[in-house]
Amino acid sequence: MTATAPMSRSVYLDYAATTPVDPRVAAAMAQCLTRDGEFGNPASASHDYGDAARVLVEAARAQVAASVGAFPKEVVWTSGATEANNLAIFGVAEYYCESGRHIVTARTEHKAVLDPCRELERRGWRVTYLAPDGGGRIHPDRVAAALQADTVLVSIMHVNNETGVIQDIRGIAASCAEHGGARLHVDAAQSAGKLDVDFAQLGADLMSLSAHKAYGPKGVGALLVSSRARGRDAAVQLRALQFGGGQERALRAGTVATHQVVGMGLAFELARAALESERERLAVLRERLWQGLTPLGGVIRNGHAEHSVPHLLNVSFEGVEGESLLAAVRGRLAVSTGSACTSALQEPSYVLRALGRDDVLSESSLRFGLGRFSGEPEIDAAIAVVTQAVSRLRRLSGA
Amino acid sequence: LTYNEATLRYFENAPGAGVLGGPGTFRGAAGSRAHGTWVQFDVQLNARIIQAARFLAFGCPHTIAVSAWVAEQAAGRELRAVLPETVQQLSERFAVPVEKRGRLLIVEDAWIAAVRDGLARGAAAIESPPVGPMS
Repeated sequence: MTATAPMSRSVYLDYAATTPVDPRVAAAMAQCLTRDGEFGNPASASHDYGDAARVLVEAARAQVAASVGAFPKEVVWTSGATEANNLAIFGVAEYYCESGRHIVTARTEHKAVLDPCRELERRGWRVTYLAPDGGGRIHPDRVAAALQADTVLVSIMHVNNETGVIQDIRGIAASCAEHGGARLHVDAAQSAGKLDVDFAQLGADLMSLSAHKAYGPKGVGALLVSSRARGRDAAVQLRALQFGGGQERALRAGTVATHQVVGMGLAFELARAALESERERLAVLRERLWQGLTPLGGVIRNGHAEHSVPHLLNVSFEGVEGESLLAAVRGRLAVSTGSACTSALQEPSYVLRALGRDDVLSESSLRFGLGRFSGEPEIDAAIAVVTQAVSRLRRLSGA
Repeated sequence: LTYNEATLRYFENAPGAGVLGGPGTFRGAAGSRAHGTWVQFDVQLNARIIQAARFLAFGCPHTIAVSAWVAEQAAGRELRAVLPETVQQLSERFAVPVEKRGRLLIVEDAWIAAVRDGLARGAAAIESPPVGPMS
């Protein structure tokens, strides 16, 4: 499905940041909001309104589970992947703190994983931050080597949000299984709905999901909590972080937002149905984009080209400054830059720095996120805009 | 990231971008590409009067905009080792955040370097141009 972007707006290639809600999803969500729809509290067991809402919530749970190879009972609704990551990391840490106080993660993880880890460090935990190879991958052997007797958790993302690099989760899961005590959490916000994600086969104990990366609504996600023991005495356990109603098996108290989870369920089902065709289509578009940019010269692809998702391309441009590059394309092209804006100054991407890029190249990168409404016209427009901007900035700097 | 109208105009149009050559042309640069900001000015003199000025800049939109404005303002002025406005005035004109004021100092240093090049190499041709206080 493709559509030309409205002329009045910039070309949107930031689908890795968020996606528009699929109109079918929006319609389903709307049916859960008003008086003539299923607005009931799904926890209300005493009347038909609650029953009807609960049926929808459980149907959505089954949809999400089916799309990622999980059991419905393994799906815990959250407000998004950030909350899911927090629940996984703090939940495991608090439950298993008597067994150990060491965590293994990667320098290239999302802040939603790194910041909880840093908070645990402040509370006295030890955290090992693994460096990736030059392509952005964390080799399972490096995970195995980092495991210590008191390691209780390994948290490695499935697909990096900046580079699109896919990690060898099965290999990492095998390292954790061999260790025995280390549970594996996987942030799958960038892969669910875009890759063939199979929770059971990947071997993770916990997996974070986000709806809005897959044409669902913002404000909803899920944490998959494995019911499998995976060779241990028992399946992974968590301590809840919030209390007040016992919803979601007492792991996440609070009224379940029926419209949100219905949206996520349908979005994941639709994404799963379109997965194969979209993957092939986006791979062709990404290659078109890359081939269109290379004539500029001085362009560096960030991240492993082979082990990466088809919807994401990260490129550094030599001879241009990052903030000016973003300003030069702004208004015509909606993309993300390799720098994080903190106050008025930008900081180079810590992900690209971990891959060995220097500060200037880390800042002068653009992340192109392709999606369901990207087509050749959008890709060609992006090539033209970036080519013009980079060429102009290089002339201005005499590069 | 937001920029005021002056910054956007001078960043997008960049009047005075480029280099100058030939007799009576002097050059100065400051900053470092590796550290994110580098600016170069060329000034062409006739006696003490700047006939033309050009700039090259590797840096943020504020750096490019201020450099372009300085080059544009220079023509017709007497050669002096001061910018047409103080760094404080330029910060206000271009709404430069306080965290980025250091980049304007690099613009100023590049301008002063070009003037000093003119003073050093063109002393015979220039009748002792006055050197004002740095802002």
